[in-house]
Amino acid sequence: MMHIPFRVVFEQRGETPRRLSLIVPLVSVLAALFFGALFLLATGYSVFDTYTNMFKGGFASFNGITDTLALSTVLICTGVSAAFAFQMNLYNIGGEGQLYLGLIGGAWAGIALGDHLPSLIMVPILLICGALAGAAWIFVPALVRSRLGTSEIVSTLLLTYIGASLIKHVIYTPGSFFRNPNTSFPQGRRVADSASLDSFGSSRLYPTFFVAVVVAGALYWVVKRTEFGYRINVISDSPRAAHYAGINSRRTTMMVMSISGALSGLAGAMLIVGPYGKIEPSIITLGYGYAGIVVAALARNNLAVIIISGILFSGLRVGGNNLQVTTDTPIHIGVMLQGAILLFALGGEAFRRYHIHIVRTQTQPNIKMSA
Amino acid sequence: MRKRHIKSFALATAAVFGLLACGGSDTATEETAAEETAAEETETTDAATDYSALRVAIVYVGVPDDKGWTYQHEQGVLALESELGIEVKRVENVPEGDEAEAIMEGLAAEGYNLIFATSFGYGTPMARVAVRHPDGCFQWATGAKFLLTTDMGGEYATFGDIPANLGTYFGAAEEARYLSGIAAGKASPTGKLGYVAAFPIPEVIRGINAFTLGAQSVNPGATVQVSWTKTWFGPDTEKESAESLLAAGADVLAMHQDTTATGLAADAKGAKWVGYNSDVAEAAPNAWLTAPTWNWGPYYIQTAKAVAGGTCPSDEYYGSMADGMVTLGSFGSSVDADTQAMITEKAAAIIDGSFAPFTGPIMDQDGKEVVAAGVRPELLDLLGMSYFVKGVIGSPKG
Repeated sequence: MMHIPFRVVFEQRGETPRRLSLIVPLVSVLAALFFGALFLLATGYSVFDTYTNMFKGGFASFNGITDTLALSTVLICTGVSAAFAFQMNLYNIGGEGQLYLGLIGGAWAGIALGDHLPSLIMVPILLICGALAGAAWIFVPALVRSRLGTSEIVSTLLLTYIGASLIKHVIYTPGSFFRNPNTSFPQGRRVADSASLDSFGSSRLYPTFFVAVVVAGALYWVVKRTEFGYRINVISDSPRAAHYAGINSRRTTMMVMSISGALSGLAGAMLIVGPYGKIEPSIITLGYGYAGIVVAALARNNLAVIIISGILFSGLRVGGNNLQVTTDTPIHIGVMLQGAILLFALGGEAFRRYHIHIVRTQTQPNIKMSA
Repeated sequence: MRKRHIKSFALATAAVFGLLACGGSDTATEETAAEETAAEETETTDAATDYSALRVAIVYVGVPDDKGWTYQHEQGVLALESELGIEVKRVENVPEGDEAEAIMEGLAAEGYNLIFATSFGYGTPMARVAVRHPDGCFQWATGAKFLLTTDMGGEYATFGDIPANLGTYFGAAEEARYLSGIAAGKASPTGKLGYVAAFPIPEVIRGINAFTLGAQSVNPGATVQVSWTKTWFGPDTEKESAESLLAAGADVLAMHQDTTATGLAADAKGAKWVGYNSDVAEAAPNAWLTAPTWNWGPYYIQTAKAVAGGTCPSDEYYGSMADGMVTLGSFGSSVDADTQAMITEKAAAIIDGSFAPFTGPIMDQDGKEVVAAGVRPELLDLLGMSYFVKGVIGSPKG
């Protein structure tokens, strides 16, 4: 057997030095850009042009920045949804499915209530109904997690598939409440006009963006400043200590998972009041709920930072899409660059969290094991 | 607790790739497609027409090498490029939704003045971009403009409000479906046929009916059992559906799907297979009968020429076998010479208009007459077809 004369030791940092919190993400992004540059050079594309176009397409043009903020609206919600649960070590990865239910909840209110109320009342009702539907979808996983300790990773993920089937069912079944009754084409039924918001000017950005930002900020405050937030922090640090302190972790688990589900549901309802106005079955191919997990990880589950990571992630996606439009760069290159930047940003986390050193090891004589 | 964090990052990383991989859902896995588009290599390009002001882009739902739906469109684009001597911009793997709007907006802003989009889900975003760019010309494949009116769940109060620089294009696949039904009816000793179908929408229902009528024209007692997969691209689901139909006694399977799973399942049981989209006999040569296929080249060429000449077609183009948009693939070895001759003759009758697959009397599943004797239904009735004809087993409601 070949002997490797060193090993890599990951030593957990007690306290992360402040400077690392700043340096690591920066170096990660630079490393990713460098890695991407090697790839571009190897495939014969201009490094400078590609990056400029990606940046311009995602951030530095009117369409670029408004499209980025538009996409981030949903991703901030699903990101906060994921992070809010993750910070208590509850891994709700079924945000995607809760978003589907948010579509159904929002569309239900928008159709059932008709065109009687002003938008100022109607739109919040849709958003609340979407959030409630999202919370309802996570109720069973939350219950079995808090009572029996059943893995929420599995239960929330599996419910996503059921949610996808539900969306197909309500659109493809003739006579369905959510389907337009006037045509044999499977089209969603449009919500009342008062439940549809207009985008800003010629952009595709909707006022729901500000709702997403306020929600993220408010939850950040809840976690940092309220007793409920304190309970979450204690339970996530040490469930046993929480138990001795008399904190009811079952109830907190239920609460946290319900809020997490509600946030993904809210994201779904935002799609109804924003760009879509009806349940569009193709939404189940977009993966906004799954993207929220990445957004949360990039922000290291910090609810306020998610506003930034959500915008950055969206800009990467919009800019990557734009590469195909403005240059001859194939889609694969754009996707590769997005993947590299995300991977490096996530990988950098290890350096922040652990002190990594390489330890020389001496060659040991082979020790014979007696049977 | 720290350890679980690491797990979450691994999970998130996996999710990154899952997310990035989920762009192209409409791909197919056939190995090759022998069918070449009818790109006439003749130098008929009239030198008088200047194409320098024409900038064409196409938005693909999948990737051109999928050997299925997008592959067929790519063949059409290649034909367009060689005919007009222009370069066409392709944007691949575009998800159907608000991001598609951003991408088409970007194309219009970049100066592309003829934009094709190859999936039903691009309708709303494309119409929005068309409103903002009245000088551009926008063409929506498989679309139907009336679906954009508020009555139908769209955004425009009346049909007249729909932007005039938006057209749609699709074709009468039912003509080739009918012909493929003849091959299937002849190849089935039991008269029990199966059909692996994606979604219960008019396009698919129309295809099933045409296939059934074709089969019954040579095998009067033939029945067609339908199995819904509720997916365009799902090799496993398609295979399960195919196997369930075979288990129920079907000896020929047809399909409205994007993969060859149905053909492979039929082959494994010694049954026969009618494909779709591309001419992929070699996927299962023993099972292969034939397939309805698409040829988009002539339409792309004619539309680009019209736009270069200053006209944006705003009608709903419905191609057919007569204009070559719809074709029938090659015949498998088990389609005998007599059947081939019969199909060729019927094809000629369809092309010269003396025959139409949907000609009354047509009975629905319950034996009620839905089309009176000698009547050919209006195109709009065909486009909205929501009933199964007599002999189809299954529900048109999914």
